[in-house]
Amino acid sequence: MDRTSEFRELYDAHRVAVHAYFVGRTGDRWAAADLMQEVFLRAWQRFDELRGRPADGRRAWLFTVARNLSVDAYRHERGRADAEAALRHEPAVGSPSAHAAVVAADRVAVVSDAIAALPEHQRVTLALATSGLNSSQIATALGVPAGTVRYRLSDARRTLADALARYDRPEHGTEEP
Amino acid sequence: MSLDDALAAWATTVRLPDAAAEDVYRRIVATPAPRQLGARWWRDYTNDFTARMVASTRPARWAA
Repeated sequence: MDRTSEFRELYDAHRVAVHAYFVGRTGDRWAAADLMQEVFLRAWQRFDELRGRPADGRRAWLFTVARNLSVDAYRHERGRADAEAALRHEPAVGSPSAHAAVVAADRVAVVSDAIAALPEHQRVTLALATSGLNSSQIATALGVPAGTVRYRLSDARRTLADALARYDRPEHGTEEP
Repeated sequence: MSLDDALAAWATTVRLPDAAAEDVYRRIVATPAPRQLGARWWRDYTNDFTARMVASTRPARWAA
């Protein structure tokens, strides 16, 4: 397999998780995309270091670079034009009924707000979990014990469940009249 | 909608669209990879250096 094909495999295998990591750090998927590009650009330039490593070793290498990137420089840099361009990529979401769609969208918004308010270490861990990584893989990515990952996930989920429970109380108007 | 469903829905709202991910990939591989030194470069370099040094310091009578 040539260099480009092998790099393509690496990119496809890890890009979602690396992007999710930066979404957790920045809260902005376009800033996260810039940072993800920076990580994979370094991987491309130093690919010979990565080629002989097992999957976990490659993940550890990528996330070490990711953790060492200066995220602050990318925060709040994306403008409205980028956000609007992003919206043009959004697929239309079908809905079984208008009311159900509104309630579902509200619940996602509640969860989104609650995620934004989480401590960063919980938000990053949760973002990685939603990208499809298991606790062990997240532990490798973050350089922390798997037990810590499970603890953070449990805490984050409890916070989100509480936020949804508050939203579901009748005074918030989600019940049918 | 359960918490897991809401989380999955949130994940789709922050995920990078495939077209954008493809653009990122194309930009990366369009960047020339730095030239790597071969595994034998140091041996070749020192062999060459030694040969030149020996040749340049050879006594004049040998060169005649």
